[in-house]
Amino acid sequence: MVHEDYKELLSARALTTLDAEDTRALEIHLQTCAGCSAELIEWEQIAAFMAHDASTLEPSLEVRQRILKTIRTTTVASETSQSPTNLVESSVTRVESKILTFERHPRTVSSVSGIGAIAAALALIALLATIFSLWQQNRTTQTLLAKQNTQLDETNAQLARQREALTLLTSPGARMASLSGTNIAPTAQAMLAYDKKGHAMLMAKGLPAVPNGMAYQLWFIKDGKKMPGRVFTPDSAGNGMLEDDIPDVALEAAVFAITLEPKSGVQAPTGSIYLVSAT
Amino acid sequence: MSVRVKPEREPQLDVELLHAVARGDEEALARLYDQYRVILFSMLVRILKSREEAEDVLQEVFLQVWKRAKDFDTERGRPFTWLVTLTRSRAIDRIRQLGARQRLADSAAQNPANEASDAATDTLHSEQREIVTRALAELPEEQRRTLNLAYYEGLTQSEIAEQLGTPLGTVKTRMRTGMIKLRELLGEQVNSLLGPTTN
Repeated sequence: MVHEDYKELLSARALTTLDAEDTRALEIHLQTCAGCSAELIEWEQIAAFMAHDASTLEPSLEVRQRILKTIRTTTVASETSQSPTNLVESSVTRVESKILTFERHPRTVSSVSGIGAIAAALALIALLATIFSLWQQNRTTQTLLAKQNTQLDETNAQLARQREALTLLTSPGARMASLSGTNIAPTAQAMLAYDKKGHAMLMAKGLPAVPNGMAYQLWFIKDGKKMPGRVFTPDSAGNGMLEDDIPDVALEAAVFAITLEPKSGVQAPTGSIYLVSAT
Repeated sequence: MSVRVKPEREPQLDVELLHAVARGDEEALARLYDQYRVILFSMLVRILKSREEAEDVLQEVFLQVWKRAKDFDTERGRPFTWLVTLTRSRAIDRIRQLGARQRLADSAAQNPANEASDAATDTLHSEQREIVTRALAELPEEQRRTLNLAYYEGLTQSEIAEQLGTPLGTVKTRMRTGMIKLRELLGEQVNSLLGPTTN
């Protein structure tokens, strides 16, 4: 084969569809032909774009969790097997094992002072047990109190947002858009209330829990242009509220949507739509 | 060849993410996964025709990315291309390991809905998909079918010729002509939508 023959194989090579004989011949040619190597990279890019032809599907949330769990386990295992701490622990274990092998001299209780010492030790143990029990009770109470305080704060914040939503709804020219759950969140619903200046309040319910590092993001879509809104995380019951400002261009005849995105938010949507308003 | 198809987002961001993954940054891997999970998973389901197998391979791919991110070479292409190529390669390996190509093909023939379009899970950033779908739709049926058998079924040119009952030379010609046409169509449409990116 001559150079032009090899060039004709490049697009098929990018699709990894060449037969074994052609593949071997081309691989040898590529080792010495920079031009064909560069062209192959461009064909591979075209081939990769064919991935977009597949119908869009979302993997389950567990896949992400499994990946992160596996790499953490791998990392921890690797660190454990190499870390200086482990070396110290190993040497401590070795020392302890040596200590355990020391012979113990048998003791006999044969005096009043010995009995007294035992009684004192028992009293000390009882005292320690009491202190431990009290400490545990105190800790439980503190945790409960902190939890109640957090709930109170959340309730207050929710009330404040609801008051604000009410103010928005009763303001002149106020409008509302209803968002329905897609089939990945069929029970989810949301209402977006906004005034004529675009100040908006979103109230959503029935949203699935988000994985770590992820959040829901609001989008304003007008004439195909997607403008990012803020992100929010729903509570354990799937309820979420968000305050945002609708861009001026999206105040009329816009579509609103909610997608799952990285917690920091993104400038262009990457995740699936969970809620969307009617067009 | 001068066409350069612009990926969905700034490739430099993904290059930085891959470099961070190579340094052992879990958060970077998570962000990369969030960015590419839908496109890669969709492709895997189309190739493997099973959500379960696709999720399994997707997990393998990102564990491989975690281990091999340092091998990514910007001179050899963009992160998008690297990830798609890696994923497709894993999927084709899986088909061959399972020896299930015929079974999957039979299954697909019996149930065309296997290429289930889940419109509700379509992402907002579907322009690229629309461009590629439209470009493929413009190819003559026999060229499109040949490319799909190669890309999504993982068949070699000889296997395609056998399956279609077509001479090998014809298959090669259809494939090359289809790819050239696809390159032209993608170049024109992607550039018109996303701005000048040819060099």
